[in-house]
Amino acid sequence: MEHGEGNLQGYRILDLTGEPGFLAGKLLAELGADVIKVEPPAGDAARRRGPFVGGIADVERSVVWLALNTSKRGITLDLDHPRGRDMFLELCKTADAVIESAGPTGPRSLAARRLDYDTLRAINRHLVLCSISPFGQTGPYRDYRGSDLTAVAMGGNMYPTGNPERPPVRCTLPVAYYHGGIEAAVGVAFGLWGREVSGEGQLVDVSLQEVMLMPNMTSPTQFPLTGFKGGRVGGGFRGGSAFFHELWPCKDGFVSFALRGGPARIPGIIAMVRYIDEQGMATPALTQRDWTKYNHNLVTQAEVDDIEAALGAFFRTKTMDELFAAACDRNLMLAPANTAREIVGSRQLAAREFFIDINHEEWGVSLKYPGAFARSTAGGIGVTRKAPRLGEHNTVVYGELGIDAARLGTLRSEGIV
Amino acid sequence: MAALFSGLKVLEFGGGAAGPFGTRYFADHGASVVRVESKQRPDFIRLLRYTPGAEGGFDASHMFAMVNPNKYGIALNMNHPKGPELARRLVQWADVVAENFAPKAMAKWGLDYPSLSALKPDLVMISTCLNGQTGPDRNYPGFGGQGSAISGFNHLTGWSDREPLGPYGTITDSLSPRLVALLVASALIHRRKTGKGQYIDLAQVEGGVTCLSENILTYGATGEVLGRRGNRSRHAAPHGAFRCAATDGDDDRWVVIAVHDDDEWQRFAGVVGEAWTADARFATMAGRLDHVDTLEERVAGWTRNRSPEDVMRVLQGANVEAGVVENFEDLVRDPQLAHRRHFREVRHPVIGPHLVETNGMRFSRTPEEIRMPAPCLGEHTGYVFRELLGMPAAEYEALEKDGVFQ
Repeated sequence: MEHGEGNLQGYRILDLTGEPGFLAGKLLAELGADVIKVEPPAGDAARRRGPFVGGIADVERSVVWLALNTSKRGITLDLDHPRGRDMFLELCKTADAVIESAGPTGPRSLAARRLDYDTLRAINRHLVLCSISPFGQTGPYRDYRGSDLTAVAMGGNMYPTGNPERPPVRCTLPVAYYHGGIEAAVGVAFGLWGREVSGEGQLVDVSLQEVMLMPNMTSPTQFPLTGFKGGRVGGGFRGGSAFFHELWPCKDGFVSFALRGGPARIPGIIAMVRYIDEQGMATPALTQRDWTKYNHNLVTQAEVDDIEAALGAFFRTKTMDELFAAACDRNLMLAPANTAREIVGSRQLAAREFFIDINHEEWGVSLKYPGAFARSTAGGIGVTRKAPRLGEHNTVVYGELGIDAARLGTLRSEGIV
Repeated sequence: MAALFSGLKVLEFGGGAAGPFGTRYFADHGASVVRVESKQRPDFIRLLRYTPGAEGGFDASHMFAMVNPNKYGIALNMNHPKGPELARRLVQWADVVAENFAPKAMAKWGLDYPSLSALKPDLVMISTCLNGQTGPDRNYPGFGGQGSAISGFNHLTGWSDREPLGPYGTITDSLSPRLVALLVASALIHRRKTGKGQYIDLAQVEGGVTCLSENILTYGATGEVLGRRGNRSRHAAPHGAFRCAATDGDDDRWVVIAVHDDDEWQRFAGVVGEAWTADARFATMAGRLDHVDTLEERVAGWTRNRSPEDVMRVLQGANVEAGVVENFEDLVRDPQLAHRRHFREVRHPVIGPHLVETNGMRFSRTPEEIRMPAPCLGEHTGYVFRELLGMPAAEYEALEKDGVFQ
């Protein structure tokens, strides 16, 4: 897992985040930064949540912990203990950025621990502090609680997601944490750039509610012009005066395909019609239309229904694999609704050697992880180590602060590390 | 204090959202971003609601205007013999080139990284297509709808007994721009320290799969293929969206509620104050998870006669997670988003006054700023070539006559 020098080589980032911020530190570490996860002595709460590797509940086996803390080092520290707090301030002198997600108020907040931005800045004026919270560090909802569910709901991405006769629905995995995690990584990188230019650090305030606005693809800003509040339409979309399906059952799962128009998409529709015709399943609704003039804003629901009846019947005769292979060979804008199984088996990801195998010798298993999230001619992007065990790097990191093994033993017995 | 990226020059090819939302991060923080477009083949989001002859033509697209404020726009016919040469002159002006075409396009015009880095060795360039620049399926033509399906989001969104849905808005189109901003910023830091440029290949599918690392690792570590579970959680109950009372004739009002532990349950029960909350089956998380169907019915019975705003206020007042399921109108009126100045108004020459959005973070020293509306197609061609590149008037007019600025 060696990649050469990454773009953020030489920066040290202290990562105090819980699950909402795990991805931020992971991405920064995989760009070369030295990211040190700082956990309470009992370990992060996510370590106690399943699923667990091999189904064995253990703080070292939590899948979400392992998945999103790769490439970081890890130490433990009790920030509520006066000496723990002092040690953290010592660490801040060696750091370029701090990321945290404890929220602006409450007993675990930086403010309650007297580790707010002004305090950290007094120690190190170059420091960038990036705070991730449900709603932001200030404002009328700053004290409100919120996990992914509430961020997705109050960010407007849940109301338009779902089937019309069921409640609005979120993705089963926490997308607000992914958007917020990347946003925080951008905030740190921008903050570091600003520091290189001006010498001054700053506070970056990421709101999980607010990061969920961009996924709505400008629909909220269009509301004052269109009066469209959104709504649930199932697996499809509205265009012009008709409803179009976008997710279709096939032999062994679902595929995504839509009759969206525009010059970039029409060749894909024409290729699809030709494919279905070659397979002997094209109906007049497909073959007797001049697709070069197709515009989804101008077709009627009756026309859409006729076309979609033929598409739906055809897709049900094929597997996801068969349809996606045809899509790649024939430039059809069709995609399988992949599960983890298909993703791990992807020929494209295999050819790019995207997945890496990490050997967990302690359990005698090798696990497949997503590897480099991007490629660069400069190298230096990718997973450098597996997620840290609880307190794995205490000796080396505290050693750099001049804390020797004997003193570390004392701190450990006092529950500070 | 000067804007964060004051003086930075970004040249952008491509369209849609995945690339252009990424360069917006730099535009909003002071960079000069020039979008190269063409009248022969406008950005497809200029065409989303377009019908021939419609008023305003390619410039009336709401989505284009809302994705692209703070950018200059030029029209350049890349299929004209002089088009690629003029694009190369723009590259010499730029610090960063960002593009999100399918992989063949830039190479066809001689604008691939090897050619451009020969012109400008310290260039930072990023390409963002669905599958990446290499591999057997690199040329697969895809938009966000496909990216969301291939990387696994669709399968994980919706109800287990219904079709997969995918989060509204084709999620790889909003994850990718954030990754573009991160990668380009990191490359600029590296260039500042080493003087070296680089070329970055971001496959939108790989970015999505990285976010969903838990999906991949769960399969490898336990053999379980994760599926969609509606709004339910394995670790919290209740955890879902519940129907509220109709307001102003709108009977599609919802609130989300999440109770993460038994102390929170006691606080929740204290607010609700109905007899069913004392049911012993609901006293522990394990019990609530075991009887989640009944629990959700009871919670929905309580919320049905209340507004989502009231439910949020009383539960949050007791330190229990709850929130309004906001529709697009709610967002525009949301007091927290207003406090953060999420929406800003600009005046577009065709659309008139309209809102644009900022990103999801605020900087204490270097605030973002919305300075101008999105460009009409070709609006800044003269400004960019004459003023920014210093092209003599005679040369510009000859090129214009030649039809290259189309």
